[in-house]
Amino acid sequence: MSFISWQYLIFLPIILALYWVLPGKRRLPLLLIASYFFYGCWDVRFLALVLATTGIDFVCGLSVGGKRLGAPRVVLLALLPGAWLSACYFLLPSSGISPAMLGLSVGLGLTFAGAHEAVWYLARDRRPRLFLVLSVVFCLAILGFFKYFGFFVDSAKSLLAAAGLKSDWTTLKVILPVGISFYTFQSLGYVIDVYRGRTPPCGDFLTFATFDAFFPQMVAGPIERAGHLIPQLQASPPFQATYLQDGLRLLLMGFFKKVFVADNCALLANYAFDAGTALNAPWALLGVAAFAFQIYADFSGYTDIARGSAKMLGIDLMQNFQFPYFSATPSEFWGRWHISLSTWFRDYLYIPLGGNRGSRWETLRNLGIVMLLAGLWHGANWIFVLWGAYHGVLLILYRVLPPLHSLEAEGGPSWRRAAAIPLMFLFTLAGWAIFRSPSVAHLASWITALATWDLAPGLPWRSSAVWLVLHVTPLLLLQILTWKYRDETALLRVPWAVRGLIYTLLLLLIVSSAEHDQEFIYFQF
Amino acid sequence: MTRSLSIFNFKAKKLVTPAFLAVVCLLLFGEAGARLFFAHDISGRFAYGYDPQAGFAEYEDGRVELYRAGGRRFHPQSFQRRRPPGTFRIFVIGDSVPRGPSFQEAYPWVLQEELRAQHVQAESFNLALPGYGPRRCQIVLQKALEFEPSLIILHVNDANKWEDEREWRRSREFLGWHPRHWPMKVFIFRRLYEAKLEKLFWPLVPEEIRLKHAQNDADAQVAAARDPRELAARLRLAEETTAENVALVRGRGIPLVLVTQCRLDGEPPQPLTLSDHGLDALARKLAGPGVYHLSMKEVFSGQPPLAVFANYSGHLKAPGHRLLARQICSRILEQREALGLEAPRAVYAGQQPGGRE
Repeated sequence: MSFISWQYLIFLPIILALYWVLPGKRRLPLLLIASYFFYGCWDVRFLALVLATTGIDFVCGLSVGGKRLGAPRVVLLALLPGAWLSACYFLLPSSGISPAMLGLSVGLGLTFAGAHEAVWYLARDRRPRLFLVLSVVFCLAILGFFKYFGFFVDSAKSLLAAAGLKSDWTTLKVILPVGISFYTFQSLGYVIDVYRGRTPPCGDFLTFATFDAFFPQMVAGPIERAGHLIPQLQASPPFQATYLQDGLRLLLMGFFKKVFVADNCALLANYAFDAGTALNAPWALLGVAAFAFQIYADFSGYTDIARGSAKMLGIDLMQNFQFPYFSATPSEFWGRWHISLSTWFRDYLYIPLGGNRGSRWETLRNLGIVMLLAGLWHGANWIFVLWGAYHGVLLILYRVLPPLHSLEAEGGPSWRRAAAIPLMFLFTLAGWAIFRSPSVAHLASWITALATWDLAPGLPWRSSAVWLVLHVTPLLLLQILTWKYRDETALLRVPWAVRGLIYTLLLLLIVSSAEHDQEFIYFQF
Repeated sequence: MTRSLSIFNFKAKKLVTPAFLAVVCLLLFGEAGARLFFAHDISGRFAYGYDPQAGFAEYEDGRVELYRAGGRRFHPQSFQRRRPPGTFRIFVIGDSVPRGPSFQEAYPWVLQEELRAQHVQAESFNLALPGYGPRRCQIVLQKALEFEPSLIILHVNDANKWEDEREWRRSREFLGWHPRHWPMKVFIFRRLYEAKLEKLFWPLVPEEIRLKHAQNDADAQVAAARDPRELAARLRLAEETTAENVALVRGRGIPLVLVTQCRLDGEPPQPLTLSDHGLDALARKLAGPGVYHLSMKEVFSGQPPLAVFANYSGHLKAPGHRLLARQICSRILEQREALGLEAPRAVYAGQQPGGRE
């Protein structure tokens, strides 16, 4: 179920009403059922993957923390995905589940249970580490298969073909489950935190399953930390009116960003980056500018809706964006863009690799590795790897070149920072051109159009530019207001009458674009 | 409002902030004002072309108002139910081509001016629908025949049955309970949405992008349809419906002009060509006593295509509408006797067009 659907606008109030009416101990089951229903609306089969990840990390989290879960319970949890698929197989014959799928899920479950028991009995001294490895291997295997299998097989075939070798492999058509990268990383983060002693193992399966599948943020983040979300899920606070007020404000902002800004910018970006479009210079610029605002409004809009929905349930989710386009340096950009993912990579990859504690060369190497993997995280496509590499190079250049490096150290406002922000925005735009290009060939045509300042006749771009400005200006005005106070609730500082007028205008702007219903970009990751 | 609700354990009044109240009041006042002052804009919203009465308002004093075409507002037109003596009344029925870029640039209005310049006491009304649907055109035609036309001008296009069906479904769905339609049942929301569509989306976003965007839209299906079988099916539908329409109008003894449309085909670097998709042959077969044929392809051949046509479409620019109006005007004057036109009489300077607002 998408946030931008009438179904969600019915689903959310029902869940809210039930949630606040039910006593505290009944709320978690409600949230879990609601979350599974929310996710299952895309494809009931994908719920088996969620159950698998949840089961594996629940068991491993406890085992890493030194708590023994009996073998029958381990087997039971490991067989949950198989049980779910079996139920769907018999009750929903149209769900497309095959006996092979059933057999595979049961086999994998039993393999995990067997591996778990083997580690428990055979490696007493190194249990925490081995259970962590077990969790990482199984979760990444699931992620790798569903997200990257086709990519690696196709790449290998291309490589063999380039070497003059013919391959007759048949590639499996694997459907990418919605949000798999998000919930896998969230779940893995929990096990790593338990291993590091940063969070206690969660002994209640219901709580952990809700943490893993919490519907507002399950599909596209923010990727929460167990230490932040699990205590909130367990708390069951009494209702406060501010939950609803703050939540509604975030929802309004999120819908505005998504429906009014992102979807309207998408019209131009989709045209400019369509594989069949012959780009000229104005459209190369217009397309990438449109995409820059589209992706920001799309993803931060999603985050706002997620945070607003959670807020109405009395739960705070982390901020995922803090004015990324006002950054002066790449490291500042990554501290402001998709913060939950950036900090995930920082905490669970960059720092374990050595961070910046080693030599300068090692620091740069670590930055490069992290950015390459961050690029790959976004999608099974070399273009994303290229995008990650580009940002890795940017980060390295800003570290290595003295005039740029000094910007990193500068804190408050200065003319150098003021000049550096547009420069960084241009670098970001170039990055988005890589990210959005359907192929390397299209990227090359984008670069050529700009480099040669190709003014070949094309679609009228001036009126399209006006369209873009009309849709971006209200967002920029709101962002500048928020930026001025460094406070995302800056709207609360203006008089209530003006605020009421702004809310009404936002609502009307949303409605004015109500027919566009494009999916969120980050769902595909 | 101030009492505690035991379930929630909070003061209900805290929920309603002044800013929230301001939003509710602004929307309520806006909606109430709109419904009070623009009541006509609400009725018959999606029914024009399906419900014979929708879009037309008939009054006891014999006045008829046409204030809507399809789901969109139109320049209001009014006339007397009974044709004034000596007036040559024309109804133009078709799709977005005769509907035109604006009411006064579209050729039905220009035709009226041309005829009056030739001292013909004419009134010409634009009953065009946005989008083409032979079924809908037929319903509008049936309604128009009630108002004593002197001449019907009917546009023939290769039928877009998707659009026809889509509009029909929309009109049915919209009347239903489904929550997806709730926002658009709020009049100010709907007007704002339509205003943005008409004043910003269409003028600012190039047609090629609009068509690409409309993945599920009939326009996109039309744009994508290159299947000869599909084109043949559409032509068949146009043929059947046009034959029915011709019989209907002939039965009433009213002269009919069939205007077969054409389209600008070809993409750079190929030269642009005018294509009638076989409609000219279709209309020639139907022409006969009282039924005249005018081919847009013939009218516009020899003209610089992009001077009269909008880019890569069948839509005419204002000069195209003027040229078409002149052609029809001269054809009417040629057939003056057959059409029962009275001898020319002087029209006094400053005289208002008959019944026009």
